[in-house]
Amino acid sequence: MNTIQQTPPPALEVHDLTVAFDRKPVLWNIDLTIPQGKLAGVMGPNGAGKSTLIKAVMGLLPLSSGFVKIFDQPIDAVRGRISYVPQRESVDWDFPASVLDVVLMGRYGKLGLFKRPGKTDREKAKECLHQVGMEAFANRQISQLSGGQQQRTFLARALAQEADVYFMDEPFAGVDAATEKAIIQLLTTMTEARKTVIVVHHDLQTAQQYFDWLILLNTRLVAHGPVETAFTQQNLQDTYGGKLTLLSDVGDLIRRENFPNREGTIPKMI
Amino acid sequence: MNPLIQFFSFQDPNIRFVVIGAILLTASSAIVGSFTFLNKKSLIGDAIAHAVLPGVCLGFLLSGTKNPVFLIGGAFITGWLSLVAVEFVVSRTRIKEDTAIGLVLSVFFGIGILMLTVIQKSGNAAQSGLDNFLFGKAAALVGDDLIAFGAVAAILLVTVFLLFKEFTLLAFDKDYARAIGLPVRWISVTLTSLIVLAVVIGIQAVGVVLMAAILITPAAAARFWTDKIRVMIMLACVFGALSGLSGAYISFVAPAMPTGPWIVIVISTIAFISFFFAPRRGVVSRVMRQRTIRRTIHDENILKALYHLGEDCKDFTERHTAEEILRKRNIGSDHLERVLMRLKRQGYLTTANGRWQFTEEGKVRAQRVVKIHRLWELYLTTHLNIAPDHVHDDADTIEHLLTPELEAELEKLLDYPREDPHRAEIPYP
Repeated sequence: MNTIQQTPPPALEVHDLTVAFDRKPVLWNIDLTIPQGKLAGVMGPNGAGKSTLIKAVMGLLPLSSGFVKIFDQPIDAVRGRISYVPQRESVDWDFPASVLDVVLMGRYGKLGLFKRPGKTDREKAKECLHQVGMEAFANRQISQLSGGQQQRTFLARALAQEADVYFMDEPFAGVDAATEKAIIQLLTTMTEARKTVIVVHHDLQTAQQYFDWLILLNTRLVAHGPVETAFTQQNLQDTYGGKLTLLSDVGDLIRRENFPNREGTIPKMI
Repeated sequence: MNPLIQFFSFQDPNIRFVVIGAILLTASSAIVGSFTFLNKKSLIGDAIAHAVLPGVCLGFLLSGTKNPVFLIGGAFITGWLSLVAVEFVVSRTRIKEDTAIGLVLSVFFGIGILMLTVIQKSGNAAQSGLDNFLFGKAAALVGDDLIAFGAVAAILLVTVFLLFKEFTLLAFDKDYARAIGLPVRWISVTLTSLIVLAVVIGIQAVGVVLMAAILITPAAAARFWTDKIRVMIMLACVFGALSGLSGAYISFVAPAMPTGPWIVIVISTIAFISFFFAPRRGVVSRVMRQRTIRRTIHDENILKALYHLGEDCKDFTERHTAEEILRKRNIGSDHLERVLMRLKRQGYLTTANGRWQFTEEGKVRAQRVVKIHRLWELYLTTHLNIAPDHVHDDADTIEHLLTPELEAELEKLLDYPREDPHRAEIPYP
């Protein structure tokens, strides 16, 4: 008899992930799992590698070691099911485009090459703008938006993808308190529909209230798990209580010596 | 015959070749260049233009003819190679992109000049005209050239049309494009190939050195006129075509004039005009806007001064002399005279016997300014904890700026207060 229980694969599984900039590791040996349907917060001090983690997971940065699986598959096999809200400052907002143009970009993955967004895409985009309270701004030039409006435009673009896993890099930066509440409300509804939302977040005050899963990071993984077990005084102390000087010094040494992260990944020189 | 009519009737096949060729080159370069511009890679065009020369020479050496297919093929290869070289230098060394472009550009160009000199000294009769790639030969285009240009222009247009949304997304947000699974690498390679193609045919009109101008300048000029990417690219295309046509015409009426440089001069003039006179983004429009703001501030300050005088004597219908107003707000009597006359023209003030009085409209506007001033002072003291003696100057600016929506919000937030921090009454209509 088959006694193996059918558990859904985790939304995200990260195994032994190391990421280096200019050879200096900024994330060391991260191992973590996030089940489906969680609203997960990635937290840690400045320079802890929060953005680096989600960029590496999405394959936007080269990995020095380790692998990433989403729904038990390599990321490239499930691109259509993941969505990304980059940091607002990562683009030049003086680009000739309207809010609706940007939100429509969320449909490009589904559309495929060569095809143009049609009426249904436009309607979907408007619906997503409505969800973030931006429907009145559909035809506004993006250069005229305030910081909070830019953030909500990016959020609408991610929603328009109708994905299953959402990576959001500081979606609350520059957003006022009322909008932040509304967005969290929206994200919570999404997780109720079995979507997984992974949010890089800054504010410790609201962490317990917002998230049901927590990843505490400071160049290495301090803790991860349900917020009730991860959000402890000791873990916070370990995350925010200063840098691990030795680890950072060793990282600097690796860069100076141009040393490989793993045996067998000796850098190919020119 | 009138040269204008003779030119635009396009009876002469030579004129036809030159005009069509120049327009094809400039318009298609402008379309592709729009994406280089939006990608903030404007210097890349310059690198390719210089790197094309050794390819042209190589194509000639290998084929022994000036058949455009070989020349363009060779040019395409070394043009691409230069970009690979730039990327290699940037990713493998600590050299930044601008330096890498400078290095690669000069190495390729140097080799090109070297090869060209060798070919010219070789006594091969077929080589004459190869140096056209250096300076352009728009005025000597022939039918064969047109077929090659037309084919390349068609490739460029169709590809841009098909991959328009991908090119746009890549220019705006490359990481996002990668995250949602677009084949970013292939799209980039395609766009780069288009740029190389555009440069390869473009330099035959304007030459190596001026190529960057017809690639980038139309897009830079068009950007001043619009915030819509489609309109921008179409405008760039029109600007490019216009410069191509004008260049051809100028070299027709004055045969001593070279076409290529004139194309560049015309497109640069268009860019200059855009820079100064485009609505909203142009320099003149900005200066005018500043002037309007300055005038509004002066006008409203004088209305406010008159309102304060009215408050002093508790009667807003009282007439006041210019001297009295100057005592409240000293902006110099000449300037005051001008401001008063302007306010009179606009129907905010009336005058009799050198004394000035509000019209109903004038009083309403003055009252609003005073109200916002005092509300803002109160807001700064109550919500931002700024000392009451530090709030006046800020309020003096904000009073001219606030929109009715923000004004209403401010009133609501402060719950329609009666007095400002200095116990002056906040007037409501």
